[in-house]
Amino acid sequence: MMMMNGEATEAELFLNCADMSVLERQRAHLNHHHYPGFFSNSSTINGGDIDGFLASAGLDLPAVYGYTTVHGDARISVTPGNITTESGNFKKRKFGCVETETKVCNEKKKMMMMMMNREAAVEEEEEEEKSKVTEQSNKSIMMMKMKNKAKKEQNSCSNDSSKVTKDSQRTDYIHVRARRGQATDSHSIAERARREKISERMKFLQDLVPGCDKITGKAGMLDEIINYVQSLQRQVEFLSMKLATVSPRLDFNIDDIFAKEVVSAPMTNLPNTVMPPHMMVNSGYPHEMVDSGYVHFNPMQQVVASSDPLSCFNNGQSATNVWDSDVQNLYSSLGV
Amino acid sequence: MAFAENHINTDVPEKDVFALHFLQTLSNLSTQNPFSSPDKKSDRVKKIKKAAYVSMARAAGCTDRLWSRALLQRAAKRNNKIVRFPRRRKRVTWLRRRSNRRDPVEEAAAERLRNLVPGGGEMKTSKLMEETAHYIKCLSMQVKVMQCLVDGLSPK
Repeated sequence: MMMMNGEATEAELFLNCADMSVLERQRAHLNHHHYPGFFSNSSTINGGDIDGFLASAGLDLPAVYGYTTVHGDARISVTPGNITTESGNFKKRKFGCVETETKVCNEKKKMMMMMMNREAAVEEEEEEEKSKVTEQSNKSIMMMKMKNKAKKEQNSCSNDSSKVTKDSQRTDYIHVRARRGQATDSHSIAERARREKISERMKFLQDLVPGCDKITGKAGMLDEIINYVQSLQRQVEFLSMKLATVSPRLDFNIDDIFAKEVVSAPMTNLPNTVMPPHMMVNSGYPHEMVDSGYVHFNPMQQVVASSDPLSCFNNGQSATNVWDSDVQNLYSSLGV
Repeated sequence: MAFAENHINTDVPEKDVFALHFLQTLSNLSTQNPFSSPDKKSDRVKKIKKAAYVSMARAAGCTDRLWSRALLQRAAKRNNKIVRFPRRRKRVTWLRRRSNRRDPVEEAAAERLRNLVPGGGEMKTSKLMEETAHYIKCLSMQVKVMQCLVDGLSPK
């Protein structure tokens, strides 16, 4: 599955030097990538060449694919930090010209495609692509990662498909590149991709947990998240304890609470209103639950019937105030 | 990496959906087993806690989420019994073939988090993060609802 690139083979080197156009270089070369003609041409040529090469080498198509390009002498120093984009289309070219060109067009927007510079530094680059779908009729190549089975069907059915398909597919690739000196075997690349995915979700979590943004380091962040979850769970326990102490009055007070909280919601005193079916669908609530709790639930049903279910709390100004103050109480009580 | 974030979706229903479910479960609870009956207080606490978690899982969209599915399954399995958190889960194969290059501190922390989030034992770490985000959102919502309920019920 993996094309080892520590030592580039002669053929690969030749290909790279000849007309491989997908190497990225510094941002200064961005203008090159506005020449669609060049791209289609070179990729068409390369598509065949690389196909042949890979077939003769007896390689499966890599889901995680790395390659090395060795260039001539180093006059332009390319620092790893400068390289911000992926050279995305190397693999795709293997899949044939039609796909290649559409993908080139699609990916050009977000990728910097750099011309090969003979005078560039010796630079290790690699690209990893995890594609959900890349199955072609004549090659019947399957990629390792398939995130979405549905799209696979779609793609295998229409191989020389429209740009719309490719556009939707574009989001499914994950690109990970090895910087200089980083390991390029499939395990390391997969691990790096995984870590990237995790840290991306970590960032997402960071926004949710208060006080988490001040902490650097994943371990500390995780600790903070754990503490937060634990405190929330303790809060639930504490509140249910409180509720249990007031519970002797609970069964008749629930109704009062609703009357109190939905002050400004228009109350229509229809004792026999039935909960609208769409509400039950929306909330995913089983019918029998509703039915069994029916006796105790008249006030709630009035509320639901009288106003839109999703806005019955937000209608009342006082109700929203209660919620907001609760949020603040919660956060302050957490000591964050 | 911006395009990969499209997969992260942790939308949470409105507060009143949580409130509705919780109150329905509570009132259901009180019909089945009236609080006026000589019931031990600790029993009542556990029941209310279970009601809180179950209604939260329901409000969060039943089986859409791994954690809510795990929670509901557990609650259904030991019906009439206590829902306990956290619980030890079996290890799955992918845990064993983890690379030794991973940070042991991070892994230990993730493991602890796995024990906190219901159904977390079966998740990969990236999935765990996503589920945790959703779980945190739902949990804080539930806390808000309960706090509001307690505030309203307690004598002024």
